[in-house]
Amino acid sequence: MDILWISLSAALAVGVPAIATAWAQSRIGPATAAALAEKPELSATAVILVAIPETMVILGFVVAVLILLATGS
Amino acid sequence: MIRRMAKVRIMGPRKRLPQVLVALQRLALLHLAEPPLADAMNRGALGPVEEMRREQLLKRLSELEGTIGGLGLEATAAEEPMSGSVAPLAYLPRLHRLVELLGERSDELQRERRSIQHYRGLFEVFRDVLAVEPEWPNAAAFNVVLRAQDGDSLERLRGALVAEIGNQFVLRWRRLAGGEVAVLVLAPAALREQLDALLAAARFEEIELPARYAAESLAEALPAMMRRLESIDRQEADLAARRARLARRYGRKVVSARRAVHDELARLEAVSSSAQTSHAFVLEGFVDADAYPRFARQLRGRVGEEIVVEELAKENWRAEDAPVVLSNPRLFRPFELIVRMLPLPRYGSIDPTPFVAVFFPMFFGLILGDLGYGALLVGVALALHWRSAPGSVRRSVSEILGACAAFALIFGLLYGEFFGDLGTRWFHLRPLLFNREEAVLPFLGLALALGVVHILLGLGLGVITAFRKDRRLGLGKSVAALMVLLIILALLAVLDVLPRGLFVPSVVVLLISFPVLIAIEGLIAPVELLATLGNVLSYARVMALGTASVMLAVVANRMAGALGSVAVGVLFALLFHLVNFALGIFSPTIHALRLHYVEFFGKFYSPGGVKYQPFRGWTAEQNHNL
Repeated sequence: MDILWISLSAALAVGVPAIATAWAQSRIGPATAAALAEKPELSATAVILVAIPETMVILGFVVAVLILLATGS
Repeated sequence: MIRRMAKVRIMGPRKRLPQVLVALQRLALLHLAEPPLADAMNRGALGPVEEMRREQLLKRLSELEGTIGGLGLEATAAEEPMSGSVAPLAYLPRLHRLVELLGERSDELQRERRSIQHYRGLFEVFRDVLAVEPEWPNAAAFNVVLRAQDGDSLERLRGALVAEIGNQFVLRWRRLAGGEVAVLVLAPAALREQLDALLAAARFEEIELPARYAAESLAEALPAMMRRLESIDRQEADLAARRARLARRYGRKVVSARRAVHDELARLEAVSSSAQTSHAFVLEGFVDADAYPRFARQLRGRVGEEIVVEELAKENWRAEDAPVVLSNPRLFRPFELIVRMLPLPRYGSIDPTPFVAVFFPMFFGLILGDLGYGALLVGVALALHWRSAPGSVRRSVSEILGACAAFALIFGLLYGEFFGDLGTRWFHLRPLLFNREEAVLPFLGLALALGVVHILLGLGLGVITAFRKDRRLGLGKSVAALMVLLIILALLAVLDVLPRGLFVPSVVVLLISFPVLIAIEGLIAPVELLATLGNVLSYARVMALGTASVMLAVVANRMAGALGSVAVGVLFALLFHLVNFALGIFSPTIHALRLHYVEFFGKFYSPGGVKYQPFRGWTAEQNHNL
């Protein structure tokens, strides 16, 4: 039974931030695309803005790995 | 590194200003600055004669651009060396009008050709049924195209015709390539109005002949249209020959005249960068400090001893006003491309290019870290290098990719990876550092350790930048950097990475530093401190992306034996490796960029530098950049 909860916890740790990241990028992506159409020199800013929410899912992934490793699964 | 600039002042008799501007344009070294407006000095302005000259030049420029475009000279004609003034262009208005007329005639012919070609396909379908038309000398012809999706429309048309005029018609049809049905209906001319009404009511749209052939029958119009097409070809060839003759005769003249006009216009514009009294002028600007002696010598040599050229002392100008030129050793230069994606750093701040040149490919290699993918990346970099011109953006990208590939190979060797675990399975490759498939925590530790080094380096550069601006600001940044270092030392002591004895002294110094930091930087400082520690955690992405990369490669390898058929498995494995390779270029690039732009540059980078644009002669590239 434990393995179920551990797996679920790890899945939630990476899954929920993944959804949050996707939602954030779905808003940022069109906005930066529109900005780039008018000011192509903002490409570096666009990269930063799109990549910023990815921190959530990456840290979620790290937490998931730590959950799995700490519980020896 | 940002090149050292010298601020220069040029003074002389006002009548010498045009000559000075010509000399400056030829030297192409001085970045003009705002004029020094003191008492009795006004900003230079054009007089009525110069204003009229400017209007005239703008008109000539428009004619020259039109002529050059019309004769297709942009890519072919070599430009002559710049001249001091614009030669008389008496021939230009007539030449421009002639080129315009040739262009208009060419446009007309092209429109006519498109119109005939539009109908040709349709009417050629009826070529073999046109023989019917002569049998009906007084017939009216109706050409209709039925849409592909109207399946029964042909039968509806036939039924409607029978109901309206009985059997007094001939109907021929052919299916066109796009699925539409082309229909020709011949009926007595007396019934034309009746049939027009019928087709309109049933919403069958008739295709009419081009206006030029409207009075002719289809049998007459079709051959006439084909003959006209041949005639259009001949006329277009004739026009092209006339344009080529004009281009040979006037090409070099108009291209060099355009340059001369641009240059004279730039000189007229530059008058507003001078300050003037009724007898004298003053110009100020920036030149590369190393080039200043040569600049002063050559300017005096060209204009004479009547003018004064002097270097202003550093105390008499603001660093923020100086333009910026990045200048780095050959090895680091391609990485200026990454820095230039952001606004230029301010003059007097730090150019991060050398640090980017070390850390960017290192982070890339840490993430991709695979001998197989690294070798593929070497191939991509070489191909790009081969197909690029020296100094171009593509060449810089190829060189950055080369450095990234080198680090991917180095870390591939350290991780013992060749297309994931293929190296282990085929060549018994062993990791020299750790196996990324299993050693997740050591990999995380390595990523965070590099993050600490990167962030501390950024904080150190931030301290230097802050001290250059203001001592108090520099002191605040120093305390903040020290506190980050102490927090990291304390954490490492707790985790037994460093001796435990370091913990207490670190915490004590931290507690002493905290009020000092708040006193210098205010209440926002603790928040910034926490954000900096968060920045270190952000480097965990190196581990996350690297682990994902190796796992995808391992999954690709397992496909070969997991899909029943070996051939299908190998095909899927190759496809998956290709996808992983594409991700392996894209993902590390984006994230290494982000780690630099957000985490690293955020500690010291001062954007807002002005690009060094010396006053110089016009080049065709400037036109393309507009």
